Amino acid sequence: MNTRIIAKLDVKPPYVVKPVHFEGLRKMGLPSDLAKKYYEQGADELFYIDIVSSLYQREILSEGIKKTANELFIPFAVGGGVRSIEDFSKLLHMGADKVVINTFAVQNDSNIINQAAEVFGSQAVVINIDAKKWQKNWECYTDCGRIQSGRDVLEWAQEAEQRGAGEILLQSVDCDGRKRGFDIDLAARVVDSVGIPVVVSSGCGSSKDISELIEEANPSGVAIASLLHYDQTTIQDIKNYLRSNGVIK
Amino acid sequence: MSNIIGIINYGIAGNIYSVKKAIEKAGGETLIVNAAADFKSVDKLVIPGVGSFKESMKELENDGFINPLKFFDKPILGICLGMQLLAKIGFEFGKTLGLDLLDAEVKPILCDGKIPHMGFQKIQIVNSNELLKGLENEEFYFMHSFEMINYTDIAALTDYGNHSFVSSVKKNNIYGVQFHPEKSRQAGIKLLKNFIELKNH
Repeated sequence: MNTRIIAKLDVKPPYVVKPVHFEGLRKMGLPSDLAKKYYEQGADELFYIDIVSSLYQREILSEGIKKTANELFIPFAVGGGVRSIEDFSKLLHMGADKVVINTFAVQNDSNIINQAAEVFGSQAVVINIDAKKWQKNWECYTDCGRIQSGRDVLEWAQEAEQRGAGEILLQSVDCDGRKRGFDIDLAARVVDSVGIPVVVSSGCGSSKDISELIEEANPSGVAIASLLHYDQTTIQDIKNYLRSNGVIK
Repeated sequence: MSNIIGIINYGIAGNIYSVKKAIEKAGGETLIVNAAADFKSVDKLVIPGVGSFKESMKELENDGFINPLKFFDKPILGICLGMQLLAKIGFEFGKTLGLDLLDAEVKPILCDGKIPHMGFQKIQIVNSNELLKGLENEEFYFMHSFEMINYTDIAALTDYGNHSFVSSVKKNNIYGVQFHPEKSRQAGIKLLKNFIELKNH
């Protein structure tokens, strides 16, 4: 099956922003406009992450989400500051197909994964792991890559799977926003550690980076932000490149 | 002649709105069906599905949908879990009786690939019908951990992880798709258009 090419919107309402190393934000446009553009370019899926809701301890804002969902006929995952089963339910009713959770599951109550999987099905539960390299391993970070958790990435990935998560969104605090390529070693290790799909993000600088990532780590999906936001390429062009390299069909 | 597509509203997952939006995009008129009493106002029914087999059967039962569904004589389209619920029995979180509209069982996918099976894939039509007309080379979005085991009503198959599973079924007026047409771009809209245009017989 082809690796999914996913557009990722990091949102500080009302705008899509581009963090560099999870810091220093630039406004990129409205989420509904960008979502429509990437849908028309042939994105296989869309991720919408409210990157400040967890940090500010406020509720995820519904307006942009509903509007973004409206024009899409592809799967739509939403996350940011999710803290309860009610939050899952609210986001699914706003038009999300999957809900992305990180901070609360890592820091407060990992059991929320089990509960959500039982109620909504595993396919609706995506665990976001923000990984930062530490010696030979990686540590999970929370609150948009700001807070150390003391948890090992591979162990947490396996625990999340056992608890019923249906997918992992893997980001790298080290590579994010630098456009110098993915942490392929990290990606391969996580993909090999779990039986659930892994979507890899952070660091994409070119179609060639994506091609190498797929060949070496074989993730189920690749999520791209900066490269698309700056109009350096389109999803169409990325897919054409991957097809001509025989990396996707 | 009226042609209203009813969408059964049950359970707590909210994907009925994606289905409604996609049917309307395909040119159909929709009605959210909250009770079986509304069945008389619709010409076709869609059973959407997100959640678990067990929870969903419980919700259908609480809302009084089960018997009326068994006797509904117009076209039905089950989507993903909605197709699985057409089976005799499901094995997700224990054993649960299904709607028993098809001679089928629902079991975990056992294969070489990552589970849930998530992503776009083509279907191989083994028994063509009006619903799948013109969609032989199209890709559809799958998102599931369970599959329907059936030997008598297969319309399409899909290969994943060295394993072939049933991706579409048809029996008389009853249609099912394991994938999500509402999440499958233009191809999905086309399939829903085919459903809207089905003759009621």
